Amino acid sequence: MGSGFHDQALLTEHLEVALEELAQASGLSQHEIVELVEYGVFQPVGASSATAGSVSAWRFSSRTIVLGRQASRLKADFDLSLFALSLVLTYLQRIEEMEGELAELRAQLPR
Amino acid sequence: MKYKDYYKILGVERTANEEQIKKAYRKLARKYHPDVSKEKDAEEKFKEVSEAYEVLKDADKRKAYDTMGSYQPGQDFRPPPDWEQQFRSGGGGGFQDLGDIDLFDLLSGLGRGGFRPGGAGRGGGTFRLRGQDYEVTAHLSVEEAARGTELEIPLPVTDMSEDGQLRRSTKTVKVRIPKGATDGQRLRVPGKGGPGHGGAPDGDLYVNIQLRPHDLFRVSGHDLYLEVPIAPWEAALGAEVQIPTLDGRVSVKVPAASRAGQKLRVRGKGLPRPGGGEGDLYAVLQVVTPSVLSEREKQLYGELQQASSFNPRAHFS
Repeated sequence: MGSGFHDQALLTEHLEVALEELAQASGLSQHEIVELVEYGVFQPVGASSATAGSVSAWRFSSRTIVLGRQASRLKADFDLSLFALSLVLTYLQRIEEMEGELAELRAQLPR
Repeated sequence: MKYKDYYKILGVERTANEEQIKKAYRKLARKYHPDVSKEKDAEEKFKEVSEAYEVLKDADKRKAYDTMGSYQPGQDFRPPPDWEQQFRSGGGGGFQDLGDIDLFDLLSGLGRGGFRPGGAGRGGGTFRLRGQDYEVTAHLSVEEAARGTELEIPLPVTDMSEDGQLRRSTKTVKVRIPKGATDGQRLRVPGKGGPGHGGAPDGDLYVNIQLRPHDLFRVSGHDLYLEVPIAPWEAALGAEVQIPTLDGRVSVKVPAASRAGQKLRVRGKGLPRPGGGEGDLYAVLQVVTPSVLSEREKQLYGELQQASSFNPRAHFS
Protein backbone atom coordinates (compact mmCIF):
# COMPACT_ATOMS: atom_id res chain seq x y z
CA MET A 1 0.00 0.00 0.00
CA GLY A 2 3.02 2.26 0.02
CA SER A 3 3.10 5.20 2.35
CA GLY A 4 -0.49 6.25 2.12
CA PHE A 5 -4.01 5.07 2.51
CA HIS A 6 -4.96 5.17 -1.16
CA ASP A 7 -6.22 1.57 -1.22
CA GLN A 8 -8.55 2.14 1.69
CA ALA A 9 -12.11 2.76 0.64
CA LEU A 10 -15.50 3.29 2.19
CA LEU A 11 -17.85 0.67 0.81
CA THR A 12 -20.57 2.86 -0.65
CA GLU A 13 -22.79 2.91 -3.71
CA HIS A 14 -20.36 5.36 -5.32
CA LEU A 15 -17.62 2.76 -5.62
CA GLU A 16 -18.03 -0.27 -7.87
CA VAL A 17 -16.31 -3.65 -7.82
CA ALA A 18 -16.03 -6.39 -10.43
CA LEU A 19 -17.48 -9.87 -9.95
CA GLU A 20 -14.03 -11.31 -9.34
CA GLU A 21 -13.26 -8.81 -6.59
CA LEU A 22 -16.66 -9.35 -4.98
CA ALA A 23 -15.98 -13.09 -4.91
CA GLN A 24 -12.51 -12.66 -3.45
CA ALA A 25 -13.66 -10.20 -0.77
CA SER A 26 -16.81 -12.08 0.23
CA GLY A 27 -15.48 -15.62 0.17
CA LEU A 28 -18.33 -16.69 -2.14
CA SER A 29 -17.54 -18.37 -5.45
CA GLN A 30 -18.45 -16.59 -8.68
CA HIS A 31 -20.95 -19.36 -9.36
CA GLU A 32 -22.63 -18.73 -5.99
CA ILE A 33 -22.78 -14.99 -6.68
CA VAL A 34 -24.39 -15.60 -10.07
CA GLU A 35 -27.02 -17.81 -8.41
CA LEU A 36 -27.68 -15.18 -5.73
CA VAL A 37 -28.11 -12.59 -8.52
CA GLU A 38 -30.68 -14.92 -10.09
CA TYR A 39 -32.52 -15.05 -6.74
CA GLY A 40 -32.48 -11.24 -6.64
CA VAL A 41 -30.26 -10.91 -3.55
CA PHE A 42 -27.39 -9.18 -5.37
CA GLN A 43 -27.98 -6.72 -8.17
CA PRO A 44 -25.31 -5.83 -10.71
CA VAL A 45 -25.07 -2.13 -11.46
CA GLY A 46 -27.25 -1.29 -14.47
CA ALA A 47 -29.86 -3.90 -13.47
CA SER A 48 -31.57 -5.72 -16.34
CA SER A 49 -29.12 -4.79 -19.09
CA ALA A 50 -26.25 -5.97 -16.86
CA THR A 51 -27.79 -9.35 -16.17
CA ALA A 52 -28.39 -9.82 -19.88
CA GLY A 53 -24.72 -9.24 -20.67
CA SER A 54 -21.59 -11.26 -19.99
CA VAL A 55 -21.31 -12.38 -16.39
CA SER A 56 -17.61 -11.54 -16.23
CA ALA A 57 -18.43 -7.92 -17.09
CA TRP A 58 -20.83 -7.50 -14.17
CA ARG A 59 -20.09 -4.73 -11.72
CA PHE A 60 -21.57 -4.28 -8.27
CA SER A 61 -21.87 -1.46 -5.76
CA SER A 62 -19.04 -1.96 -3.27
CA ARG A 63 -21.69 -2.13 -0.53
CA THR A 64 -22.49 -5.56 -1.95
CA ILE A 65 -19.22 -6.74 -0.37
CA VAL A 66 -20.77 -6.22 3.08
CA LEU A 67 -23.82 -8.26 2.09
CA GLY A 68 -21.62 -10.86 0.38
CA ARG A 69 -19.52 -11.35 3.50
CA GLN A 70 -22.67 -11.70 5.57
CA ALA A 71 -23.93 -14.28 3.06
CA SER A 72 -20.67 -16.17 3.23
CA ARG A 73 -20.73 -16.28 7.06
CA LEU A 74 -24.36 -17.37 7.23
CA LYS A 75 -23.86 -20.04 4.58
CA ALA A 76 -20.87 -21.53 6.39
CA ASP A 77 -22.12 -21.17 9.96
CA PHE A 78 -25.64 -22.49 9.34
CA ASP A 79 -24.80 -24.83 6.49
CA LEU A 80 -27.47 -23.17 4.30
CA SER A 81 -28.32 -23.92 0.71
CA LEU A 82 -28.14 -20.91 -1.61
CA PHE A 83 -31.91 -20.78 -1.89
CA ALA A 84 -32.38 -20.79 1.90
CA LEU A 85 -29.60 -18.22 2.12
CA SER A 86 -31.40 -15.96 -0.37
CA LEU A 87 -34.53 -16.03 1.81
CA VAL A 88 -32.58 -15.27 5.00
CA LEU A 89 -30.72 -12.41 3.32
CA THR A 90 -33.94 -10.95 1.93
CA TYR A 91 -35.44 -10.87 5.43
CA LEU A 92 -32.28 -9.49 6.99
CA GLN A 93 -32.16 -6.72 4.37
CA ARG A 94 -35.78 -5.94 5.07
CA ILE A 95 -35.07 -5.76 8.82
CA GLU A 96 -32.08 -3.52 8.17
CA GLU A 97 -34.17 -1.17 6.03
CA MET A 98 -36.84 -0.97 8.74
CA GLU A 99 -34.21 -0.37 11.43
CA GLY A 100 -32.81 2.42 9.27
CA GLU A 101 -36.25 4.01 8.94
CA LEU A 102 -36.82 3.62 12.68
CA ALA A 103 -33.48 5.30 13.43
CA GLU A 104 -34.39 8.18 11.08
CA LEU A 105 -37.75 8.65 12.77
CA ARG A 106 -36.16 8.47 16.22
CA ALA A 107 -33.66 11.14 15.21
CA GLN A 108 -36.58 13.45 14.50
CA LEU A 109 -38.39 12.86 17.78
CA PRO A 110 -37.94 15.18 20.75
CA ARG A 111 -35.67 13.72 23.43
CA MET B 1 -1.94 -22.99 27.86
CA LYS B 2 -5.46 -22.25 29.17
CA TYR B 3 -8.03 -25.01 29.02
CA LYS B 4 -11.36 -24.48 27.29
CA ASP B 5 -14.17 -26.93 27.93
CA TYR B 6 -15.67 -27.23 24.45
CA TYR B 7 -18.28 -29.75 25.59
CA LYS B 8 -19.49 -27.39 28.29
CA ILE B 9 -19.59 -24.47 25.83
CA LEU B 10 -21.89 -26.47 23.54
CA GLY B 11 -23.80 -27.91 26.52
CA VAL B 12 -23.26 -31.56 25.55
CA GLU B 13 -21.84 -34.62 27.29
CA ARG B 14 -18.30 -35.72 26.45
CA THR B 15 -19.85 -38.83 24.96
CA ALA B 16 -22.12 -36.86 22.60
CA ASN B 17 -22.28 -38.13 19.02
CA GLU B 18 -21.85 -36.03 15.86
CA GLU B 19 -25.57 -35.43 15.47
CA GLN B 20 -25.96 -34.22 19.07
CA ILE B 21 -22.99 -31.90 18.67
CA LYS B 22 -24.36 -30.50 15.42
CA LYS B 23 -27.78 -29.95 16.97
CA ALA B 24 -26.32 -28.18 20.01
CA TYR B 25 -24.20 -25.97 17.76
CA ARG B 26 -27.15 -25.03 15.55
CA LYS B 27 -29.26 -24.10 18.55
CA LEU B 28 -26.54 -21.84 19.96
CA ALA B 29 -25.58 -20.44 16.54
CA ARG B 30 -29.20 -19.47 16.00
CA LYS B 31 -29.13 -17.65 19.34
CA TYR B 32 -25.76 -15.92 19.10
CA HIS B 33 -24.83 -15.52 15.41
CA PRO B 34 -23.86 -11.83 15.13
CA ASP B 35 -25.71 -11.46 11.82
CA VAL B 36 -29.05 -12.45 13.30
CA SER B 37 -28.74 -12.01 17.07
CA LYS B 38 -29.54 -9.02 19.24
CA GLU B 39 -28.18 -10.74 22.36
CA LYS B 40 -25.63 -8.86 24.42
CA ASP B 41 -22.06 -10.11 23.75
CA ALA B 42 -23.44 -12.20 20.87
CA GLU B 43 -20.22 -11.89 18.87
CA GLU B 44 -18.02 -13.10 21.72
CA LYS B 45 -20.37 -15.96 22.58
CA PHE B 46 -20.67 -17.04 18.97
CA LYS B 47 -16.89 -17.07 18.65
CA GLU B 48 -16.69 -19.49 21.59
CA VAL B 49 -19.48 -21.65 20.20
CA SER B 50 -18.06 -21.84 16.67
CA GLU B 51 -14.59 -22.55 18.03
CA ALA B 52 -15.97 -25.44 20.10
CA TYR B 53 -17.87 -26.76 17.07
CA GLU B 54 -14.85 -26.46 14.76
CA VAL B 55 -12.95 -28.77 17.09
CA LEU B 56 -15.66 -31.23 18.08
CA LYS B 57 -17.12 -31.77 14.59
CA ASP B 58 -13.74 -32.86 13.25
CA ALA B 59 -12.89 -36.42 14.35
CA ASP B 60 -9.10 -35.81 14.32
CA LYS B 61 -9.27 -32.56 16.24
CA ARG B 62 -11.76 -34.00 18.71
CA LYS B 63 -9.50 -36.97 19.35
CA ALA B 64 -6.51 -34.69 19.89
CA TYR B 65 -8.59 -32.52 22.22
CA ASP B 66 -9.99 -35.45 24.21
CA THR B 67 -6.53 -36.95 24.59
CA MET B 68 -5.35 -33.75 26.29
CA GLY B 69 -7.55 -34.63 29.28
CA SER B 70 -10.19 -32.68 31.14
CA TYR B 71 -9.53 -29.60 33.27
CA GLN B 72 -11.39 -26.64 34.69
CA PRO B 73 -12.18 -23.89 32.14
CA GLY B 74 -9.38 -21.30 32.22
CA GLN B 75 -7.03 -23.64 34.11
CA ASP B 76 -3.39 -23.70 33.00
CA PHE B 77 -2.53 -27.16 31.76
CA ARG B 78 -0.07 -29.21 29.75
CA PRO B 79 -1.10 -32.07 27.50
CA PRO B 80 0.06 -35.51 28.66
CA PRO B 81 3.70 -36.34 27.76
CA ASP B 82 2.81 -38.66 24.88
CA TRP B 83 0.34 -36.21 23.31
CA GLU B 84 2.98 -34.44 21.29
CA GLN B 85 4.36 -37.67 19.79
CA GLN B 86 0.86 -38.73 18.89
CA PHE B 87 -0.38 -35.51 17.32
CA ARG B 88 2.51 -33.17 16.69
CA SER B 89 4.05 -33.54 13.27
CA GLY B 90 7.52 -32.75 11.99
CA GLY B 91 9.31 -32.74 15.34
CA GLY B 92 10.91 -29.64 16.80
CA GLY B 93 9.36 -27.29 19.30
CA GLY B 94 8.19 -29.10 22.37
CA PHE B 95 5.89 -28.35 25.27
CA GLN B 96 8.05 -25.54 26.48
CA ASP B 97 6.63 -23.65 23.47
CA LEU B 98 2.97 -24.34 24.26
CA GLY B 99 2.68 -21.94 27.17
CA ASP B 100 1.56 -18.91 25.16
CA ILE B 101 -0.38 -20.81 22.54
CA ASP B 102 -4.13 -20.61 22.40
CA LEU B 103 -5.74 -24.05 22.58
CA PHE B 104 -7.80 -23.43 19.45
CA ASP B 105 -4.77 -22.21 17.49
CA LEU B 106 -2.96 -25.40 18.43
CA LEU B 107 -5.85 -27.64 17.38
CA SER B 108 -6.48 -25.59 14.21
CA GLY B 109 -2.97 -26.41 13.09
CA LEU B 110 -3.94 -30.07 12.79
CA GLY B 111 -3.82 -31.15 9.17
CA ARG B 112 -2.23 -27.92 8.00
CA GLY B 113 1.30 -29.17 8.30
CA GLY B 114 1.99 -27.84 11.77
CA PHE B 115 0.19 -30.42 13.85
CA ARG B 116 -1.54 -33.58 12.80
CA PRO B 117 -2.61 -36.84 14.34
CA GLY B 118 -0.40 -39.84 13.79
CA GLY B 119 3.07 -38.46 14.38
CA ALA B 120 5.70 -38.57 11.64
CA GLY B 121 5.08 -37.60 8.07
CA ARG B 122 4.18 -34.48 6.19
CA GLY B 123 5.07 -31.79 8.70
CA GLY B 124 5.83 -28.42 7.14
CA GLY B 125 4.12 -29.32 3.88
CA THR B 126 3.28 -26.47 1.52
CA PHE B 127 -0.25 -25.16 1.39
CA ARG B 128 -1.71 -21.92 0.15
CA LEU B 129 -4.12 -20.17 2.46
CA ARG B 130 -5.30 -16.59 2.11
CA GLY B 131 -4.86 -14.59 5.29
CA GLN B 132 -7.77 -14.15 7.64
CA ASP B 133 -9.95 -11.05 7.22
CA TYR B 134 -10.39 -8.96 10.35
CA GLU B 135 -13.49 -6.98 11.28
CA VAL B 136 -13.28 -4.31 13.93
CA THR B 137 -15.67 -1.61 15.09
CA ALA B 138 -14.51 2.00 15.35
CA HIS B 139 -16.57 4.34 17.50
CA LEU B 140 -16.33 7.89 16.17
CA SER B 141 -17.68 11.19 17.39
CA VAL B 142 -19.96 13.05 14.97
CA GLU B 143 -17.21 15.67 14.58
CA GLU B 144 -14.63 12.99 13.66
CA ALA B 145 -17.00 11.56 11.06
CA ALA B 146 -17.59 15.01 9.61
CA ARG B 147 -13.94 15.96 9.30
CA GLY B 148 -12.38 12.54 8.84
CA THR B 149 -9.86 11.10 11.25
CA GLU B 150 -6.95 8.70 11.59
CA LEU B 151 -7.05 5.69 13.88
CA GLU B 152 -4.47 3.23 15.11
CA ILE B 153 -6.10 -0.17 15.40
CA PRO B 154 -4.39 -2.96 17.35
CA LEU B 155 -4.98 -6.39 15.80
CA PRO B 156 -4.19 -9.84 17.20
CA VAL B 157 -2.10 -11.84 14.75
CA THR B 158 -1.58 -15.59 14.78
CA ASP B 159 1.25 -16.63 12.52
CA MET B 160 2.91 -19.95 11.85
CA SER B 161 6.67 -20.26 11.69
CA GLU B 162 8.36 -22.48 9.11
CA ASP B 163 8.71 -25.30 11.66
CA GLY B 164 4.98 -25.23 12.35
CA GLN B 165 5.05 -23.26 15.60
CA LEU B 166 2.07 -20.97 16.13
CA ARG B 167 2.89 -17.49 17.34
CA ARG B 168 0.55 -14.82 18.67
CA SER B 169 1.39 -11.15 18.49
CA THR B 170 -0.26 -7.78 18.06
CA LYS B 171 0.19 -5.47 15.12
CA THR B 172 -1.02 -1.93 14.85
CA VAL B 173 -2.63 -0.77 11.64
CA LYS B 174 -3.09 2.90 10.89
CA VAL B 175 -6.24 3.73 8.97
CA ARG B 176 -7.72 6.97 7.75
CA ILE B 177 -11.46 7.35 8.01
CA PRO B 178 -12.37 9.75 5.20
CA LYS B 179 -14.77 12.59 5.88
CA GLY B 180 -18.31 11.63 5.10
CA ALA B 181 -18.26 8.24 6.79
CA THR B 182 -21.43 7.58 8.68
CA ASP B 183 -23.07 5.08 10.98
CA GLY B 184 -23.01 1.48 9.76
CA GLN B 185 -20.62 2.05 6.86
CA ARG B 186 -17.56 -0.17 6.35
CA LEU B 187 -14.06 0.88 5.45
CA ARG B 188 -12.11 -1.79 3.62
CA VAL B 189 -8.34 -1.84 4.04
CA PRO B 190 -6.91 -4.40 1.61
CA GLY B 191 -3.99 -6.53 2.75
CA LYS B 192 -4.14 -5.45 6.39
CA GLY B 193 -5.74 -8.61 7.74
CA GLY B 194 -3.93 -11.77 8.80
CA PRO B 195 -0.87 -12.99 6.90
CA GLY B 196 -1.37 -15.38 3.99
CA HIS B 197 0.48 -18.72 3.93
CA GLY B 198 2.39 -20.34 1.11
CA GLY B 199 2.44 -17.22 -1.05
CA ALA B 200 -1.30 -16.58 -0.76
CA PRO B 201 -2.32 -12.93 -0.26
CA ASP B 202 -2.84 -11.38 3.16
CA GLY B 203 -6.40 -10.90 4.36
CA ASP B 204 -8.24 -7.58 4.47
CA LEU B 205 -9.28 -5.40 7.37
CA TYR B 206 -12.87 -4.16 7.58
CA VAL B 207 -13.65 -1.27 9.89
CA ASN B 208 -17.29 -1.04 10.92
CA ILE B 209 -18.05 2.61 11.63
CA GLN B 210 -20.32 3.43 14.52
CA LEU B 211 -21.11 6.96 15.61
CA ARG B 212 -21.24 7.78 19.30
CA PRO B 213 -24.35 9.67 20.41
CA HIS B 214 -23.84 13.43 20.38
CA ASP B 215 -25.00 15.75 23.14
CA LEU B 216 -26.81 18.02 20.69
CA PHE B 217 -27.07 16.46 17.24
CA ARG B 218 -28.86 13.30 16.20
CA VAL B 219 -27.69 11.69 12.98
CA SER B 220 -29.95 10.32 10.28
CA GLY B 221 -27.94 9.23 7.26
CA HIS B 222 -26.00 12.36 6.42
CA ASP B 223 -28.57 14.72 7.93
CA LEU B 224 -28.37 16.12 11.43
CA TYR B 225 -31.28 16.95 13.70
CA LEU B 226 -31.01 19.57 16.41
CA GLU B 227 -33.68 20.33 18.96
CA VAL B 228 -34.10 24.11 19.23
CA PRO B 229 -36.06 25.39 22.23
CA ILE B 230 -37.96 28.61 21.63
CA ALA B 231 -40.12 30.78 23.89
CA PRO B 232 -43.91 30.96 23.24
CA TRP B 233 -43.63 34.57 22.07
CA GLU B 234 -40.83 33.62 19.65
CA ALA B 235 -43.11 30.92 18.23
CA ALA B 236 -46.00 33.37 17.95
CA LEU B 237 -44.22 36.44 16.66
CA GLY B 238 -41.26 34.89 14.86
CA ALA B 239 -37.61 35.42 15.77
CA GLU B 240 -34.08 35.13 14.58
CA VAL B 241 -32.15 32.64 16.75
CA GLN B 242 -28.54 31.46 16.82
CA ILE B 243 -28.02 27.71 16.64
CA PRO B 244 -24.86 25.59 16.77
CA THR B 245 -23.68 23.60 13.74
CA LEU B 246 -20.62 21.40 13.32
CA ASP B 247 -18.72 24.39 11.97
CA GLY B 248 -19.86 27.27 14.08
CA ARG B 249 -23.05 29.07 14.91
CA VAL B 250 -25.53 30.19 12.29
CA SER B 251 -28.59 32.36 12.46
CA VAL B 252 -31.98 30.90 11.52
CA LYS B 253 -35.27 32.66 11.09
CA VAL B 254 -38.17 31.21 13.08
CA PRO B 255 -41.31 32.21 11.16
CA ALA B 256 -44.26 33.75 12.96
CA ALA B 257 -46.94 31.26 14.09
CA SER B 258 -44.44 28.39 14.34
CA ARG B 259 -45.44 25.16 16.02
CA ALA B 260 -43.61 22.66 18.21
CA GLY B 261 -42.06 19.93 16.08
CA GLN B 262 -41.78 22.17 13.04
CA LYS B 263 -38.51 21.58 11.16
CA LEU B 264 -36.39 24.35 9.70
CA ARG B 265 -33.86 23.16 7.15
CA VAL B 266 -30.37 24.62 7.20
CA ARG B 267 -29.01 23.51 3.87
CA GLY B 268 -25.55 21.92 3.67
CA LYS B 269 -24.86 21.90 7.42
CA GLY B 270 -25.12 18.13 7.83
CA LEU B 271 -22.39 15.54 7.34
CA PRO B 272 -20.40 15.47 4.10
CA ARG B 273 -21.48 12.82 1.60
CA PRO B 274 -18.83 10.49 0.15
CA GLY B 275 -20.04 11.25 -3.38
CA GLY B 276 -19.80 15.01 -2.82
CA GLY B 277 -22.03 17.61 -1.22
CA GLU B 278 -23.35 17.65 2.30
CA GLY B 279 -26.43 16.57 4.15
CA ASP B 280 -28.68 19.15 5.81
CA LEU B 281 -29.20 20.23 9.38
CA TYR B 282 -32.79 20.27 10.60
CA ALA B 283 -33.64 22.55 13.49
CA VAL B 284 -36.64 20.98 15.24
CA LEU B 285 -38.55 23.64 17.16
CA GLN B 286 -39.59 22.94 20.72
CA VAL B 287 -41.85 25.52 22.36
CA VAL B 288 -40.93 25.74 26.02
CA THR B 289 -42.52 27.79 28.76
CA PRO B 290 -40.70 29.19 31.78
CA SER B 291 -41.00 26.84 34.76
CA VAL B 292 -41.40 29.81 37.11
CA LEU B 293 -43.39 32.89 36.11
CA SER B 294 -42.97 36.30 37.69
CA GLU B 295 -46.07 38.21 38.77
CA ARG B 296 -45.70 40.49 35.75
CA GLU B 297 -45.45 37.52 33.37
CA LYS B 298 -48.53 35.93 34.91
CA GLN B 299 -50.38 39.20 34.46
CA LEU B 300 -49.38 39.44 30.80
CA TYR B 301 -50.36 35.83 30.12
CA GLY B 302 -53.67 36.56 31.80
CA GLU B 303 -54.23 39.55 29.54
CA LEU B 304 -53.36 37.43 26.49
CA GLN B 305 -55.85 34.81 27.61
CA GLN B 306 -58.60 37.45 27.87
CA ALA B 307 -57.73 39.08 24.56
CA SER B 308 -57.25 35.93 22.43
CA SER B 309 -59.99 33.93 20.77
CA PHE B 310 -57.54 31.14 19.87
CA ASN B 311 -58.87 27.65 20.67
CA PRO B 312 -56.16 24.99 20.14
CA ARG B 313 -58.76 22.22 20.70
CA ALA B 314 -61.38 23.48 18.31
CA HIS B 315 -61.20 20.26 16.28
CA PHE B 316 -62.38 18.25 19.33
CA SER B 317 -65.86 19.73 19.18
